[in-house]
Amino acid sequence: MTTNRRKSIWVFGDYRNYYQNRVTLQLIARAVALAKTINAEVCALIFGHEIDEWIMEYTAHGADRILAIDDPALKSYSTEKYLAIIERLARERDPEIILIGATDFGREFAPRLAKRLKTGLSADCVGLDITEDGLLLQIAPSFGGNMLAEIVTEFHRPQMATVRPGTFKEIPHDYERTAIVERLPLMKGLPKPRVRLIEYERSVEKEHTIENASVIVCGGRGMGNKEKFKKLQELARLLGGDVGATRPVVYAGWAEHNVLVGQAGKHIKPKILFSFGISGAIQHTAGLGEADFIVAINKNPQATMLKMADVAIVGDASDVVNNLIKELKKRIRE
Amino acid sequence: MLINPCPKHKLIRDSVRSFAETELAPIAAEIDRKAVFPREIIEKMRPLNFFGLQAPREFGGAALDSVSAAIVVEELSRVCAAIGLCVTVHNGVALYPFMKFAGKDQKNEYLPKLTSGEFIGAFSLTEANAGSDSASVETTAVKRNNEYVLNGTKIFVTNGGVCDIALIFALTGFEPGKPQSSVFIVESKSPGFLRGELEDLCGMRANPVSSLFLEDCCVPEQNVLGNIGDGMKIGLATLDNGRIGVAAQALGIAQGAYEAAVKYAKERQQFKKPIASLQTIQNYIADMATEITAGRLLLYRACSLKDGGAPFGCEASMAKLYCSTVASKVTSLAVQIHGGYGYSKEYDVERYFRDAKVTEIYEGTSEIQRMVIARTILSQLTF
Amino acid sequence: MKLVVCIKQVPKVTELPWDEKTGTLRRDLASGMMNPACKHALEAALQIKENHNASITVITMGPPAAEEMLREALAMGADEAILICDWLLAGSDTFATSLVLKEAIKKQCPKFDLILCGAYTADSETAQVGPQLAEELDLPAAAYVEKMEITGKTLRVRRLVDNFRETLEMEFPALVTVSMENYKPRYTSLAGLENAFDQKDVSVLDAKSLGLSSSSIEQKGSRTRVRKVFLRKAQKGNVVLQGAASNVVHEFLDRYQRKIGTVIGKSIEEKKQHDDK
Repeated sequence: MTTNRRKSIWVFGDYRNYYQNRVTLQLIARAVALAKTINAEVCALIFGHEIDEWIMEYTAHGADRILAIDDPALKSYSTEKYLAIIERLARERDPEIILIGATDFGREFAPRLAKRLKTGLSADCVGLDITEDGLLLQIAPSFGGNMLAEIVTEFHRPQMATVRPGTFKEIPHDYERTAIVERLPLMKGLPKPRVRLIEYERSVEKEHTIENASVIVCGGRGMGNKEKFKKLQELARLLGGDVGATRPVVYAGWAEHNVLVGQAGKHIKPKILFSFGISGAIQHTAGLGEADFIVAINKNPQATMLKMADVAIVGDASDVVNNLIKELKKRIRE
Repeated sequence: MLINPCPKHKLIRDSVRSFAETELAPIAAEIDRKAVFPREIIEKMRPLNFFGLQAPREFGGAALDSVSAAIVVEELSRVCAAIGLCVTVHNGVALYPFMKFAGKDQKNEYLPKLTSGEFIGAFSLTEANAGSDSASVETTAVKRNNEYVLNGTKIFVTNGGVCDIALIFALTGFEPGKPQSSVFIVESKSPGFLRGELEDLCGMRANPVSSLFLEDCCVPEQNVLGNIGDGMKIGLATLDNGRIGVAAQALGIAQGAYEAAVKYAKERQQFKKPIASLQTIQNYIADMATEITAGRLLLYRACSLKDGGAPFGCEASMAKLYCSTVASKVTSLAVQIHGGYGYSKEYDVERYFRDAKVTEIYEGTSEIQRMVIARTILSQLTF
Repeated sequence: MKLVVCIKQVPKVTELPWDEKTGTLRRDLASGMMNPACKHALEAALQIKENHNASITVITMGPPAAEEMLREALAMGADEAILICDWLLAGSDTFATSLVLKEAIKKQCPKFDLILCGAYTADSETAQVGPQLAEELDLPAAAYVEKMEITGKTLRVRRLVDNFRETLEMEFPALVTVSMENYKPRYTSLAGLENAFDQKDVSVLDAKSLGLSSSSIEQKGSRTRVRKVFLRKAQKGNVVLQGAASNVVHEFLDRYQRKIGTVIGKSIEEKKQHDDK
């Protein structure tokens, strides 16, 4: 029954932080490219209430088809409800591929969906392609991010991946584009969710801005001591950026846990990363993602961090910080 | 006997190391510079059994074997020798004689307080005219009704400034040529128990070392540890055990200095390459590592003998002699490898260097250790 | 109340030796530790145990050396420890791992109320095993939990997901994955460590004892296949600057101030040198 239908690449519409996190658009863009290779359509899924805005956005950014369920019962995100819905849809329509943004929600949701559909999933991919034999090539960081693994799901469908935000570029919007919009009713007989949402609110805490900051000033043990470390704050202010820290620094109490960058902390993707007195242990570098331009300062010329850098400055981190502050104050014009 | 670390010892080392690196490392330099005893850290250490290392479980201790106890002291001293000193003195020369010589009532009264760290213990033998020559002790204890009245001055008492309980050596028999000494359990709140000013010492500065003045200090007669006249016996047994503690401490200091030196040697560039690539530095590093490892085996051997119930005094002296010598040498080399920076308080090796020296002095100087070792050897039947 | 904590041993990352030539991890040389988030999960369980009448079973799948980590968990206050250890299971992906964990839990502690996992592991960071185990056991579940309150059979959790603070409720039995924001693990007491070796046992299970044959593992097991692993390419300019800090900073800004200025949206330029004279 499904044989005649065109293959479909599904992209889960994770619209909750649309203005901060464009991962769904990025995935649609990548899906469009992949779809050409395997002659498939790109289908965006949108579940929620009063979702026309997202239908329009996803269409404008490249989706060929939209599967939309607009129902007051879907007013807030629910892992269980979404799971039940997608499971049904996937069983009916047999998508070839399902792509989900590696947001917190996506990373909780995708593994459960994969298990339900009895298929494989690679987490937090930083690349997607199509192999010669037509499989989805999932490029995922492994062993703490120093290695990349090429993963395929050979015998099970759909092929599933969560993808790290920022991996792909979105297609510029085109509000002239059209897509087939299927507005489906919320299906009957879905199991009653067992997890009750008691309350939720958008958090306004600063702690998450570091993940979106365009300049990050990261410091490690090599800053010397807590007082010297605090200087990074001044430098970050001058550069309109955020301070990040390594694990030893957080453990030593120089910085709070919420600015920890690395495996156990935040993943960052700044346009410019300053790295002061950081050796570059993999538990830290794993969090650096796709930093565009890295300036590293370390006393030890052999430090891994210097080797990863675009500009490697060999010297005392604290001295360089002080000089940079002094010099930037002279040079910056508002 | 154990040559390789077993999983338990490895886990104990990891756990104490993680505590020390998280809690002690950030303050070690500061409490040294300001010479302050970090009460708040002691409070964190209490529930973790640092003050009841080898005491039985029924008294709230951790019932560790001696190798484990040595590892604990090593790992604390690796980061902060002054805290290592507080712990090893409390456990090794205050708690230990209690466990070994105290009567049932004394144990019930004091052990739970000591093992929980509610009471910090001290051991006071040394006087102005009596160090290792314990027969020259001049503090006296005279029985009056059902108590003893103590008079005298003890000096260089480790934990002296903060101890809640001190084991005081005093003369109780005054027959010329046949002095008899005994040990008294003295609570710091006893009338006539006074502390002197804290000593201004070269190293281990965060430990409150002080004099103790006993001025008609009255102690109930049931506070004699063991029996009247047991002074010498208790003193010798305690010192044997204390030497294991000092060896562990010395080893920890050496380890800390060695690790700092290796790290620095890999980072420091001269002649456009790390100084670790210079053969002279490599020789230093090789010697440091070899001697630390040798010291560790010697120490753990004394520990295993002790746990096996065999005499361990000679081996404890060997371990103490060797480990303290290694500590002085390794810390000195660590400063050397750091060059001018090593002589600066900016770097930890300067502190290690100062801390190491006293391990060659207290709990019997190196000269005394050699005497003990030689005496043991020479008293054995010739082969 | 019966709590199950799933934990994993990961290499101590700061010590992880890395062979740059062959591009492989010298896992054989790396010593292991309890994955930090798993330790937070165990801490959460211990705090529940302190306030409610609860027993804790810790369970791991791993090599024989993982026993040490289980001992540490016992030392922290867990009551029972299970090691699932079988070379047949080596290389399992999360799909297979969650299946194996389910079988072990069904066999050893079927009457559990709450399963706690770390929200992610430091070595692979897939964050999948917890949610997939919830599917296997058909449980209500929440990931990234920061705080828990238990009233009778009801679990209330607080968490932060994608900038939303959520409060969720569910009934036991349930599963949570615990984040590292709260529940800072306690230090292990020395008495606890000694007891963990002296007075407690670790039960070891193999695939067969869980009713998993090699064929069933192949059939039901891993869905994904790793075709190739390669070292991430560094495509960095790697300009090296060296010298006195003030000179280096001058040189650096002279070369890159335009780039930095563009990113931060301000103009950075050196004052003209004409007042030097």
